[in-house]
Amino acid sequence: MVLLELLWSFVKIGFTSFGGLSMIPLISDEMLSHGWMTALEVSDIVAIAEMTPGPVGLNCATFAGIRAAGLAGAAAANLGVLLPSLTLCAAAAVFFARVKDSELVQNMMVGVRPACFGLICATVLKLGATNYSGPALPATAAIGLLDVLLLLKLRWSVPRVLAVSALLGLLLVH
Amino acid sequence: MEPTELPSREKKQGEAEQGPAEAPLAMPKTAPPREDVTPLQLFWEFFKIGCFTFGGGWSIVSQIEQNYISRRQWMTSQELLDLTSVGRSLPGVMIGNVSFLFGYQIGGLRCGYACVLGIALPPLLILTFVTTMYSMLQGNPYVLHAMTGVRAAVAPIILSAAAMLRKGALERPACWAVAAGAFLLSLRYNVGSVQLVVLGMAAGLAVSWWDKRRGGRPHGAA
Repeated sequence: MVLLELLWSFVKIGFTSFGGLSMIPLISDEMLSHGWMTALEVSDIVAIAEMTPGPVGLNCATFAGIRAAGLAGAAAANLGVLLPSLTLCAAAAVFFARVKDSELVQNMMVGVRPACFGLICATVLKLGATNYSGPALPATAAIGLLDVLLLLKLRWSVPRVLAVSALLGLLLVH
Repeated sequence: MEPTELPSREKKQGEAEQGPAEAPLAMPKTAPPREDVTPLQLFWEFFKIGCFTFGGGWSIVSQIEQNYISRRQWMTSQELLDLTSVGRSLPGVMIGNVSFLFGYQIGGLRCGYACVLGIALPPLLILTFVTTMYSMLQGNPYVLHAMTGVRAAVAPIILSAAAMLRKGALERPACWAVAAGAFLLSLRYNVGSVQLVVLGMAAGLAVSWWDKRRGGRPHGAA
């Protein structure tokens, strides 16, 4: 029952990771021990996950699922990795909706909001450090600056900005 | 599962009727619940967003901000920050969690599930395509160059989300210190988001306690 194995593997991955690149070691372990991917494919999937929309977790689930058992495998693996969102997060949402107007939670949120804001700002710098380095540097920095202008001054939508950036990448990066 | 969504809705409606004067604990600009949005609509909205979630899922926050806060005012930016921090500190895929929490707040459990399905389907379809064309796309210079451009756009997209959320996050002077602390801890010491949220809770309690003790402004005032 490769479908059940896929489902169970990704349930484990989903419940024990907190999104993004923190999933990679877990995914790598599960993929290698089941023989669903080689070590090289795991590093490729990280690159693919960055190239395509969607988070690393879902993309790995699809890739490994298709390799192991076709489309049904992909569906099973996606379901597994999304199970925390569908259960734990659902419970948290119901709970949070009840308590969010209480004084205690409101007081906590006064600190959680700026902490989350600080985290977002740190993410910008971390991503910037990796995405604006290497041989393509002058071009990527120029695209980045233009995008800041398009987003903040001209209020362009995210899809339009991504399309323009991809086009500029084709034209400017050699 | 259905009955669970009723209390939250009734409660929200009750709040809206009370008005701001009688609800000092509620945030001043809490958006009313949406009765007019169907799960199917939300599914389609999030399907479209799911086609453009590059960069570790953070751009979903930016797209939600653009589509539902700046334009349609379905929610306040503070509420979006709350969803983001709750979703970020639960296990699993962050965009799945944030999508669910957003949908749930708009229209209960069914809308939450519709949002998760919508956001997860495009990556599944696109990666199915990429996996089958893997060897062709792998070393293709055009694909690589276009993707270098896309990656260059990710940091500005998240930056724009941060710029829009700033006002809701930094409502008191002490919040600047909390934000700066979280920024440094994440950047210099790689402290995880769960720990940051817990530290933020403690900081929030401390700040509120200090404000109250000094007899400063009443709780919840922006």
